[in-house]
Amino acid sequence: MKRTLGIGLAVVLLVGVVTAIVLGQGGDAPARLETVRGVIGSEKLAFFADQRVKDVFAKHGLKVEVDPAGSRQIATATDLNSYDFAFPSSAPAAEKIQRDRKAARTYAPFSSPMVIATFDPIIELLTKAGVVKPGPGYQTFDVQAYLDLAGKATRWDQLPGNTSYPARKNLLVTTTDPRDSNSAAMYLAITSFVANGGVVSSQEAEVKVLPAVSKLFLDQGYTQSSTEGPFEDYLSAGMGKTPLVLAYEAQFVDRVVRGDSTIRPDMKLLYPAPTVLSKHTLVPLREAGDRVGQLLSTDAELGKLAATFGFRTADPKHFNDIVKEKNLTVPQTIVDVVEPPAHETLERMLEAIAKQY
Amino acid sequence: MIRRLIPAVAALVLLAGCSDEADPSRPVGDPAPGVLRVLAGSELADLQPVLDEAARATGISVKFSFTGTIEGAEKVASGAAEQGFDAVWFSSNRYLELVPEAQKRLGTPSKVMSSPVVLGLPAAKVKDLGWDTKRVGWTEIAEAAGAQKFTYGMTDPSASNSGFSALVGVAAALSGSGSALDAAKINAVAPQLKQFFSAQKLSAGSSGWLSEAYARRAKGEDPGAKVDGLINYESVLLSLNATLPEPLTLVYPSDGVVTADYPLTLLTSATSEAREAHQKLSDHLRGADVQRKIMDTTHRRPAVPQVQPDAKFAVKDLVELPFPGSQSAVDGLITTYFDQLRRPSRTLYVLDTSGSMQGDRIDGLRQALVGLTGADESLAGKFNRFHGREQVTLLPFSSTAHPALKYEVPANDPRPILDQIRTTATSLDASGGTAIYSSLRGGYDVLREQINADPDRFTSIVLMTDGENTGSEDVNDFTAFHAGLPQNLKGIPIFPVLFGESATAEMEQVAKMSGGKVFDARSRSLSAAFKEIRGYQ
Repeated sequence: MKRTLGIGLAVVLLVGVVTAIVLGQGGDAPARLETVRGVIGSEKLAFFADQRVKDVFAKHGLKVEVDPAGSRQIATATDLNSYDFAFPSSAPAAEKIQRDRKAARTYAPFSSPMVIATFDPIIELLTKAGVVKPGPGYQTFDVQAYLDLAGKATRWDQLPGNTSYPARKNLLVTTTDPRDSNSAAMYLAITSFVANGGVVSSQEAEVKVLPAVSKLFLDQGYTQSSTEGPFEDYLSAGMGKTPLVLAYEAQFVDRVVRGDSTIRPDMKLLYPAPTVLSKHTLVPLREAGDRVGQLLSTDAELGKLAATFGFRTADPKHFNDIVKEKNLTVPQTIVDVVEPPAHETLERMLEAIAKQY
Repeated sequence: MIRRLIPAVAALVLLAGCSDEADPSRPVGDPAPGVLRVLAGSELADLQPVLDEAARATGISVKFSFTGTIEGAEKVASGAAEQGFDAVWFSSNRYLELVPEAQKRLGTPSKVMSSPVVLGLPAAKVKDLGWDTKRVGWTEIAEAAGAQKFTYGMTDPSASNSGFSALVGVAAALSGSGSALDAAKINAVAPQLKQFFSAQKLSAGSSGWLSEAYARRAKGEDPGAKVDGLINYESVLLSLNATLPEPLTLVYPSDGVVTADYPLTLLTSATSEAREAHQKLSDHLRGADVQRKIMDTTHRRPAVPQVQPDAKFAVKDLVELPFPGSQSAVDGLITTYFDQLRRPSRTLYVLDTSGSMQGDRIDGLRQALVGLTGADESLAGKFNRFHGREQVTLLPFSSTAHPALKYEVPANDPRPILDQIRTTATSLDASGGTAIYSSLRGGYDVLREQINADPDRFTSIVLMTDGENTGSEDVNDFTAFHAGLPQNLKGIPIFPVLFGESATAEMEQVAKMSGGKVFDARSRSLSAAFKEIRGYQ
């Protein structure tokens, strides 16, 4: 038995060696891949870690190594010198990096709307409370109604008739840290729009909305710095820890597409009304990083793969194919989308909130 | 478990020291292929069998060096951790992330398992309290504790994460506001918190020692007064139950808990080899089979949604209490705990100032004491200082015991008294013989008087000596004396510090008879040992 196995192994090894020699001489496959290092918003980690994605990059001679980080952290705290590209999850963060590093261009190969992931019993509670409403083909999370409840520091156990989730803590959407993370900045874009009755574009408006929007963060206390953190808590620790979590639509869709039974039947998505799109934007810092940006924007295989990870692609066909194929219950188009404030405005508001910690 | 592992780590350090000088900033050596050097909380030691298997499966072996959460945060923040480690692994990154200098050095976290901090009480007690038929919140728990309906043990929040989580949890829940704590909210609930902590009768610097001490007291192996329950990780309580004559029932407060989630976190400074090792190891540890194995052997909850937590976790959907959002709020809470909330300490230091202590040794002793008067500006040092309301007695000895020097640190404005202690410590001089046991015996006269005047304190003795006893009373005389002490004195733990040529066996004996613990200062500074002991006082 052992001997057979030994011979078998030797054969495999031999085949391996022969293949290597053949490939090595073939000229098509490069003998050694060029390593490209990037720092990325954590929600794209699974995409870059996927073998099929690695294979496509390898075909083009690249081995892409990535570190996940909060997108604002990438723009402000991370030492970018050791990286070939930065790939935060929003246009404003990318804008800042592009300016700081004097990058010639950026790539925006995919996007994803901000959503709120929750559970059936919570939807039922919030429907009664007037926060969840039927929308155009999907359920919406009425941001104005939510701000009204949060403004009064409403606790879950104070909702009338609440027997399914009588927790003695504030009714708050779990977000990431506004000091580091892009998704928290996107959340600020949404809530400040509603609190102001339009995009915040003056210092006056900033002052007006800050008390209400600051509270949404400060009352949470400690928040994690990367969006993957609270979403993982949502999946594994459940309703007790994170009844409502702010996420990228892609995070949820990715899990459904994987079909790894991490999304249970009682887990649902709500679309904030209004919401914003997070535009994943790659900033090349060196030549090798630029090649990654080009490939992501132009390579059809990478586009298809990105859609399987739940991203809405620049060419909508890839995403729509996945929706059809996997029978996903996500809207093809989202109607109530607003623009985030200008980068400086968003930054100033985030700074003002950070100061209050 | 922890104790068994430390000699192994020490041996490693010694081995490394054979070829070149042991480098204290690299306690687990230089970067090496297939090795992940991890600065970790000591409770990770029970994962060793899982990590051994992981090493066989992935070729990546983990080398641990253990430290407390706050000390660890300090090492990360100062950049010291980057010198000798590739990753950190504590029960939670929350405190680390609140320290901006530490936060920016943290790379990819990978949550491996989780365990909430809960209260364990004997079933009979739970029934007496009427908690067997309904779930209760922290308010009811604090009221029952305040009425002395039960007593409990908890770790030092500045040294160990379980005590820290419990402190945050009870404060957050009692504040009742539903949002995260700040200084004003803490002050508002100080009276209820004080009630709650009045029932804490046992403290420790580590979760492991706390549950060992609890078990020894429960079985009557240790002279200290029995304690009803423990506040600790669910996992520690479930493991402990296997060894107890009367298992503990876990009380999950209905208003919420604080949960440890054990993120194995890469440092941003790590090499790409270490990065790959971290990824490989994380993937392995988060695989479904390994997650089940972790759940079975360590009683911690799985971190991945694919694995369902099994039936031994009595309450599944736990509400997580908000955790403070700033370092100042957390630091304020810990300081308030020490200076105002917890039962105050009474601490007796029996200190060898014999001739053999001359030179560096007496200098080291002076520094160790001065460090506890607030001179140590490090994060951990700030919390380790003598606390408000604490009674501190220094009892130096040589051929005989010198007069006892007694101090009581005021809750408000502690500075003048701390300065007095500092002056005394700096003027300690070394000469004469080493009358250990007659001096130690004399210490009980001081304590007897203090206890009679004010019985409700954490009382403990630190015994520091650098050599053999030269007095006429020996360890056997002391053993006989100790056996004849009344219960309230017999149960005072003695913490001997091994230093210089200490008689190790005798010191072990003294620690054991009193329910204390030996601390080793032979391979590190007296300061480090004195700081560690603070967690047990």
